[in-house]
Amino acid sequence: MPYFMGIDIGSGTSKGVIVNDGKMVASHLLPSGVNYREAAQKVRQELLAKAGLSPAEMAHTVVTGLGGNNLPFANQQAADLPCCARGVHFIFPDVRTVIDVGEQAARVLRVSPEGRVTNFVISERCAAGSGRFLRIIANVLRIDLKDVGPLSLQSKNPVTFTTGCAVFGESEAVSRVAEGAAKEDILAGVHKALANKIAMMVERVGLEPECAITGGGGRDVGLIKRIEENLGIRLLVPPDPQIITALGAAIMAEEQARLTAAPELKS
Amino acid sequence: MVTEKKKKTINRLQSMYPLRANIDEMYKRVVEASKVGKPTAWCMVNWWEADPILKAMDIELVYPENYGAVCAAVGTAQTYLSRSDADGFPTHMCGYARNCFGYAARMKELGEIPPEAPLGGMAKPVLLVSSGALCDARYKWFQALGRYVEAPVWTMELPHPGVVESQKEGAYEGAIAFMVKELREFIEFLEKLLGKKMDWDKLAEMTDDLVKVNRVWFEINELRKARPSPMNSRDFWSCMNASLYPSGDPKVSLKLYQDMYNEVKSRVDNHIGAVENEKYRLAFAELPPWHDLKIFDELAERGWNFVVESWAYHPPKPIDTSQVSDPLRRIAMHTYQWLTGYFQDALAPREYMGYFAFPYLEWARTYQCDGALLHPLLTCRTATNHLMLVQDRLLNKLKVPSLVAEGDIVDLKLFNHADTMKKAVIFEEIMDHYKQARREAGFEW
Repeated sequence: MPYFMGIDIGSGTSKGVIVNDGKMVASHLLPSGVNYREAAQKVRQELLAKAGLSPAEMAHTVVTGLGGNNLPFANQQAADLPCCARGVHFIFPDVRTVIDVGEQAARVLRVSPEGRVTNFVISERCAAGSGRFLRIIANVLRIDLKDVGPLSLQSKNPVTFTTGCAVFGESEAVSRVAEGAAKEDILAGVHKALANKIAMMVERVGLEPECAITGGGGRDVGLIKRIEENLGIRLLVPPDPQIITALGAAIMAEEQARLTAAPELKS
Repeated sequence: MVTEKKKKTINRLQSMYPLRANIDEMYKRVVEASKVGKPTAWCMVNWWEADPILKAMDIELVYPENYGAVCAAVGTAQTYLSRSDADGFPTHMCGYARNCFGYAARMKELGEIPPEAPLGGMAKPVLLVSSGALCDARYKWFQALGRYVEAPVWTMELPHPGVVESQKEGAYEGAIAFMVKELREFIEFLEKLLGKKMDWDKLAEMTDDLVKVNRVWFEINELRKARPSPMNSRDFWSCMNASLYPSGDPKVSLKLYQDMYNEVKSRVDNHIGAVENEKYRLAFAELPPWHDLKIFDELAERGWNFVVESWAYHPPKPIDTSQVSDPLRRIAMHTYQWLTGYFQDALAPREYMGYFAFPYLEWARTYQCDGALLHPLLTCRTATNHLMLVQDRLLNKLKVPSLVAEGDIVDLKLFNHADTMKKAVIFEEIMDHYKQARREAGFEW
C-alpha cells in the first residue's frame, strides 16, 4: 500500500504528514532553525520513524513552504496556499474562507467546494499580522509563546496599539511595560491589532462561511477570540492547525501520484 | 563542450527589432542635433497634443518618461533615484520624475551628459514641454527642473472630462475649441522662441502621418485577439513609443509598423503564438516594472501570454478626421479621443465603471483573458487608483480573476520578483477555477 508525504518548511516551524488511502498516518513538527534543508531532512526522518516506515515506501513526496526549494528527496514542489486549501478541505469540507497565521505572514484565502484556492491575500512587506509579531511581544514580556493566548484572555483593559507595525509595536510594548500596563492587557492589545489587520484582509477577499483558522495562530486562543469578535463569527479550529499545509501537501502528493503513476494507484 | 543555447520562451516579433532600434536612436539623433545648434526639447507624453506641432517646427524631442523606463531597464536608474533623494525630493514621488531630477542634477554638476547615461543620454533642452493630462506630478515636475535646467516650461492644457456632464450637448465642441485655442497660443509661443514661422503644410502632413501610424498600430493590436495570440506585451512595450510619444520620423515609423502588421497577420494566419504553449491569456495593468521585464519571460515559461495591456498607452479607437482641414482641430480631436474614447461605453451600463477601469473590462472580454496581472505603482496614484475597481469588476462581471503585485516603474526596491512568482503559481489554480466558472456561466471562453 503506497504512502504519500507532505513537508511544509515554514520560517518558524517545519511540519510533515504522511497519508495513506486518504487517511492521515502520522504527523510531526519541529523548529526550522536557520538551516531549512537540515530541518527538512530531520522532519522527514523523524516522521518516517514515527510512522514506522522507510523512505522507499513513500510513493510521492510534495514539499512546500519558504524552505521547500531544491530538497533532494522531493518529487514535487508546490505553492503553500493550494496545499493549505487541500488540507483544510480534508478536515472541514464546508470551509470557504481560511485565515492562516504563520510565523512569516498572515494569509487569507477563499476555497472552492473542491478544495481549490479561488482568491487570496497575503500580509506582505511587514510583519504586522504575522506570528512573528506575537513572538516579538512575548519576548519583550518574557513569557512563553504557548502562554500568550490564555494570559491574553484574562485581560480586562486591553492596551490600544497605535501601530500595526511589528517593529514599532515592539517599542510600544516596551513603553507600556515601563508605564506599568499588565502583561495580559498588552497581549490583548497585540491580539486586537493583529485581528484588525486580519479582518481587513478578510474584507478584501470577502468572508464566506464556514471560516477556519490554521497555522501557529490557530493555537492562540487569545488571537482566535479577538478575530471572532472582530468578524462576528465562530472560527473552526483544526485539531492541529500547524500541520494543515503539510497535510494538504501530502494529499496533493496522493492526487498527483494517482494522476501520473502506475495503473494500480488510479483505482 | 557544446552548450545548448536556452530557447527564448517569448517568440519575439522580428519586426520589433528595427522599430525598437529606431526609437533608441532618437536619443543619439537629438544629441547630434543639439551639437550643431538645432533646438531640442524635453517633452512629456502628451497624447499628441504637442508632438506634431513641435516636430513640424523642427524641434528635436526626447521624452524623460521614456528615458526613465530606459534607465530602469538597463540598471542606471538607481543612481539617479539616489541623487534625487539626496537633493531632497520625496522618495514616494513619481519614479520617472525622480529619475529625471537625478539625471538633470548629474548633468548640471558635470556640465555635460553624464557618462553613465544610457543610449547617449538626453541632450540639454532649450524648451520643456509638460502636460496637464492625467497626473498632477506632471504639473510640477518640469517646474522643479528649474533647479538644474535653464529652459522655459510650457504646459499643454486640456479638458479633464472624467464626469458624466462631459457627455452633454455642446461639451465636446467646447472641449475641442478650448484645445484648438491652446494650440494656437502654443504655436505663437514657439514662433517667438525660435524666431521662425510655422509651416502649416508641414504640420498637416505630419498630422496625417501620425494618424496613419496610430491606425496601423491599432490594427496590429486588434490582431492580438487571435488564439494563440501572436504578440506578447513585451513587444508592445518595446514598440509603443513610436506611436505614443511619438519617437522618430513618423514616415519611418509608419513603414516599420506596416512591416510589423504583416508579420503579426502572418502569425495569425499560421496559428503561431507569441508563447509556444499558450495556457493562460492575460491582461496587464498598468505600466510594467521596467527594471524586471525578465519576469514576463519566466511567466511565459509557465504558459502565460500577456495579450493586452494598459489602455492609456494603446492607440485610440480610430475616428475619421479625413474631412477636417484644420490640422489643429484634427490634433485636438485625436488627443481628446485618445483620452476619452472609451468613456461613452463606460457610462452605458448605468453602473459606475470608472473610465479608467472600463477598457480593461472590454478588453478582458474581447481578448478572452483568463486573468489580469495588476501592478499598482507605489509612486504613481494615477496608475494605481483604479486598479482595485478593475479587480472587482473583472471578477464580478466576467469571472476573470486578478493577481495584484505591487511595485514601481523605476524603483526596483519596491518590487519583489520572487514573491510575485510565488503568487503567480498560486494564481494559476485560481485561473483554472474561474475558467470552469465562466464555462458554467455561459461565457464564450
